[in-house]
Amino acid sequence: MIATKILARKLFTGTLLMAAAATGASSQEDSLTSSPRQTVLKPQAVEYLYPEQVTVPAGKPTPVSLHFRIRENLHINSHTPRAEYLIPTVFSLPESSDVKLANATYPTGTDFTLPADPDQKLSVYTGDFAIQAKLVSTAGNHLVEAKLRYQACDQTQCLPPKTITVPIDVIGK
Amino acid sequence: MKRNTIVIGITLLILATFAWAGWANWMYRKQAAARALASASNAELIPAAPGDVPAGGASLTGKPAPNFTLEDLSGNKVSLSSYKGKPLLINFWATWCGPCKIETPWLIDLQNEYGPKGLQIIGISTEGDDLKPDDKEGWAHDKAEIAKFVKREHMQYPVLINGDSLAAEYGGLDAMPTSVYVDKEGKVVAMQLGISSKEDMEAHIRKAMGEGQ
Repeated sequence: MIATKILARKLFTGTLLMAAAATGASSQEDSLTSSPRQTVLKPQAVEYLYPEQVTVPAGKPTPVSLHFRIRENLHINSHTPRAEYLIPTVFSLPESSDVKLANATYPTGTDFTLPADPDQKLSVYTGDFAIQAKLVSTAGNHLVEAKLRYQACDQTQCLPPKTITVPIDVIGK
Repeated sequence: MKRNTIVIGITLLILATFAWAGWANWMYRKQAAARALASASNAELIPAAPGDVPAGGASLTGKPAPNFTLEDLSGNKVSLSSYKGKPLLINFWATWCGPCKIETPWLIDLQNEYGPKGLQIIGISTEGDDLKPDDKEGWAHDKAEIAKFVKREHMQYPVLINGDSLAAEYGGLDAMPTSVYVDKEGKVVAMQLGISSKEDMEAHIRKAMGEGQ
């Protein structure tokens, strides 16, 4: 009886100590994870939104609308920038793929001027935009790693050109 | 006896709760780490505000300008040390960069105005395409684009290529343009990320020249 009582007390006290220790450890780790990171890695300028999967008739060119999002305060050149030196936004598929790109229709760019040069109008995309890609797929399930090349800027500076992978699961039936 | 059984029962319940909490916490952290890893593999550096230091590196202000040797468009090797004793504006730029194109005429004007007083502007093309040394076709294409830009914009000051190779030494060079102002002693007196105004550039130049401090 007494032994059981002692055991119960010891167990209870031990549990409380463990609980206190666990809580302490957890809050210390939380403070570490919530503290500002040393690195300044941020999401990329352009993010592919959807679709992740499309079903198309095999062998028949089928338009698919691909949606992208540009980070706030950034813009990218449209597919048809107004100056020759600017890098256009281009969507492509790997040549070796079982899915071919018959053609791509890009949205019209929006006029944009930099504060330092209000006279020059740029043609850019901002926010969300969609590219209509006409895909031709063979029969079967194909995980396609399409590419989007773009070059992003804000009002005063530009990031280097970048090519992101656009993963699409294309099912040809 | 009954009371002790209840205490043991409660204790075991608490232990079970903590075991579950610990497991859930571990799973959450594991998933968060996986998400962070996935996110990091697709990440790029977000530019800092104009006038700020590059997002990926520390400011060089107050430190000696890191030495370098780069080629110009004719293939001649040019070192920073060859400009020893001169106030400098090292301007990192790229052919695809709209703000760089805007500030180029300002740089030409400033070189014309302050050159006779000792200032030397050095343009360093930083295309951000990370070409490998043996990529002859890539380098030829880059050089042709840079030469076209230099000719079109009438850039009379020295232009060097492969600024990307200086990213680590010059604070990351995450965005273009980036301007580094160096005084006669070779010390960086100001660093400017992004375009601001010709007046701002002139103020930094005067600082590099030891005027108007």
